[in-house]
Amino acid sequence: MRIACLLLPDLPLAAELRARPELVGEPLAVTSGAGPRAEILAVSPEATRQGVCVQTTVAHARALCGALRVQPISPALERAARGALLDVALSCSPRAALAPRAAGAYAGEAAAYLDVSGTSALFGSEAGLAAALTARARGVGLPAGVAIAASRSVAHIAARKLARGGNTCVLPPDRESDFMAAQPLDLLDPDDALAEQLSHFGLVTVGDLLALPRHALGTRLGPDVLELIDRARGEARELPLPVPKQRALRESIDLEYGIDRLGPLRFVLQGLLSRLLARLGTRQLACNEITLTLELSGGGRDVRRVAAAAATLDLRVLIQLLSRALETHPPAAAVEGVCLATEGSALRGDQLDLFRPAGPAPAVLGRTLAELEALCGRGRIGAPAVADSHRPEMFRLGPFEPTPAGAAPPEPASSRPGDDPALAVRALRPPVTAQVRVARGRPEAVRSAIANGRVLRLSGPWRTTGGWWTPEERFAYDSFDVQTSDGTVSRLRLDRVRKIWQIDAVYD
Amino acid sequence: MSRSPTNTARDPEAVAKLLRDLGPQLRRGEQPSPSPSMLASGVPALDRLLGGGFPGGRLSEVAGPLSSGRTSLALALLAQTTRAGELTAVVDAADAFDPASADAAGADLERILWVRAPRLREALRCAERLLDARGFALVLLDLAVADLRIAPATGPRLARRAAGTGTALVALSLTRCFGTAAEIALELSPIRASIDGVPALLEGLEVEIALVRHRTAPGSRTTSLRLRSIQAA
Repeated sequence: MRIACLLLPDLPLAAELRARPELVGEPLAVTSGAGPRAEILAVSPEATRQGVCVQTTVAHARALCGALRVQPISPALERAARGALLDVALSCSPRAALAPRAAGAYAGEAAAYLDVSGTSALFGSEAGLAAALTARARGVGLPAGVAIAASRSVAHIAARKLARGGNTCVLPPDRESDFMAAQPLDLLDPDDALAEQLSHFGLVTVGDLLALPRHALGTRLGPDVLELIDRARGEARELPLPVPKQRALRESIDLEYGIDRLGPLRFVLQGLLSRLLARLGTRQLACNEITLTLELSGGGRDVRRVAAAAATLDLRVLIQLLSRALETHPPAAAVEGVCLATEGSALRGDQLDLFRPAGPAPAVLGRTLAELEALCGRGRIGAPAVADSHRPEMFRLGPFEPTPAGAAPPEPASSRPGDDPALAVRALRPPVTAQVRVARGRPEAVRSAIANGRVLRLSGPWRTTGGWWTPEERFAYDSFDVQTSDGTVSRLRLDRVRKIWQIDAVYD
Repeated sequence: MSRSPTNTARDPEAVAKLLRDLGPQLRRGEQPSPSPSMLASGVPALDRLLGGGFPGGRLSEVAGPLSSGRTSLALALLAQTTRAGELTAVVDAADAFDPASADAAGADLERILWVRAPRLREALRCAERLLDARGFALVLLDLAVADLRIAPATGPRLARRAAGTGTALVALSLTRCFGTAAEIALELSPIRASIDGVPALLEGLEVEIALVRHRTAPGSRTTSLRLRSIQAA
C-alpha cells in the first residue's frame, strides 16, 4: 500500500493567509485572542526574521517588530482550510481522510492522508503525483507539503521532516528503515512523560530506539513505547482509509465588526466565494445552489438558498445572484459572520453528434443560463411549454435542457410545406384594460392603449370558463377577434367575473 | 506567348511594370469575407426576398406596427430553425411570446430558450451573453415595446458581437432602431384582415413585406404574404 500525507505545518497561519492573501509577505502573528496580552500562536517567516516567536505576548512581539500585523485565531477559517486540504486529497484519490488533530509541539499542523496505491500511473510517477498534490494545494491557497510512503505514520513523519514549505518527498519501500533510523525521536511526537524517559535512556534518534529489544522496552516503559516503535517501523494498526460521504463544502468567516451595508458585504462574499469555487474546481465540481448563512448581531441568523439555473464556476454570475438575493431582502441586522455552503454538482457532459448541429458547449451553456438568470431573476428563463389549461394566459416555463438533436419532429397538422405561415398572437401580460362601446351585446368601438377606433369586423363571442370550483381560480371570458379602424387585429374579451373589458392578445 | 502567373510573381521587373501601368486601379489584397450562412425562414416568398434567408453572424431587423405579421414571421423562422435541430433563444423584452402560437407554428419548444427580460437594458445584455455563448443558431430579440429608446452605439455593438459567431440575431421592433448596423431591414405593414364566413371567423391576415435594407443586395423590393389563422384551419 502507498499512502500520501498532505501536511500543512502551520494551520493557523496558512488559514489566515488563505483568507487574507494581501498579508502574504508581511510580518504577521496569529494570536489566541485580542489585546496586548494575547499569546502568539503562529508567526510568518517575515516576523520570525525580526525576532518574533510563538508563546510570547503581543506586547512583547510589538516591541520587537513595530510593523507586526496581528490577527486573532479564527476557528471558522481553520475549519475551511482543513476542508480545502481534504478536497485536494480527494481530487487525487477517492480514499482520503483528515488526520486527527495532534497535540503538543505539532498541535498547529493539519494533515490529510490519501491512499495512492495504483494512482501514480495517472500522474506519470509518484513524484508527479506529489507535485500535482502540492500544485492543487497551492491552487486553493494552501502551502502544503507531500510525502509518500508505505504507511500513514512513516508518510507523516517524512512530511514533517522533508516536506515543509510545500516540498515533496517520495520514500521507496526499501529506503524507509534507513530514513527513519536517522530521524530524531521528537518527530514521532511521544507524550511528554515518555519523551523524558527515553531521553534519560540516552535515546536521541529513531534508530537508537529500534536498536533496543522491543519486549524489554515494553516491560520497562509500558505499552506507549510499543506503539511508538510500531509507528517508527510503519507497523502501527491502521484501518483502511474510507471513501468519504458526499458532504457540503463550507467557507466561512467571522468578522471583526458588524457589516450593515451591502457593498462591504459583497466584498466579503467575493472572497469566500472565490475560495469555495477554487475548492469546487479542484474536485471537478460546479456550483448550482449555495446556502448563505449570515450571523447577525444580537444573535440572529439569516439562512438563504440561492440557486443558479445551471451548475457554474463563474464567480461573477454567482456574486450577482447572491447580491440580488441580498438586495431583494436585506439582512435585518448587521452581519458578524458569513458562511457559504454548497454540495457541488458534476459539470454537465454531452454526447455530440457528427451529423447534427452541436449547440453551445455544456459548460458554456450552463454558465450562460446562470448569467441570464442573474440578469433577469429566478423563474424568468427556460424552455417554454404549452400549459394543460383552458385559461388563455397560462403557460409553463421549464428548465432548458434540450435533448441531443435526433430526427426532426413531425410536421404539425396545422403546418404543411407550401402552406401559408401560421398567424401568431402576441400575448399581453397583464391584459390591457379597454373601454368598449357595446351595441346589442357586441363591441362597436374600442379605446385602449393597444387598439383604438370603430370595430370594422369581428368574430365571436367565444366563451371560455373554468376554475368554477374555487372563487380565486374562477374565470369566464367572452372573447372576440376584432379589427379596429386603426388596423389592429386583437383579441378582446369581456371578463364576466370582474365585469371589465380587456385585450389579452394581438394578432401579429 | 503569355507568361504564367508563377513566372510573373518571380520576376520583380514585371511586377514593377504592372504596378506602374495599373497604378490606382490596384487594390490592396484582402481575403474576401466569407459569405454568411443563411437561416431560411421556411416561408418561400420571404426567403426569395432575402436571397436565402436571414444571415448568420449578422444583425437583422424586422419592424412594423401591431398586426403587421412580425411575430408570425419570427415564429416561422423559429420553427424552421428548431426543426433542423438547432438551438434558438427568444429574448423577450415585451414579454409577448406565446408558447401556444410557437407550438402551432411547428416549433420544437424544447429547443427554444425563452428569456423574459424585465427591462430593455437586461434584454440587450442577455442578447450579448447569448451571442457570446456561440452555438445558438438564432437569437430573436423582441423589442416591440412602446417608447423604445436605444442608444446609437447599441446597434454596432450587437452587430460586432454577432459577427463571427454564426448566430443570426433578428430584432423585432415597432419602428427601425438599428439603422445601418443592421445587415437586413424589413418593414412590414398590414393590408387586410379576413374575418368572414358564417359564423364569422378570423381566417388570416394579409401583410406587405418591404425589404428596405440589404447590405449585399441593394435595392428596395416588396412582397405580400398571407398569414393563415390556426383557428380557421
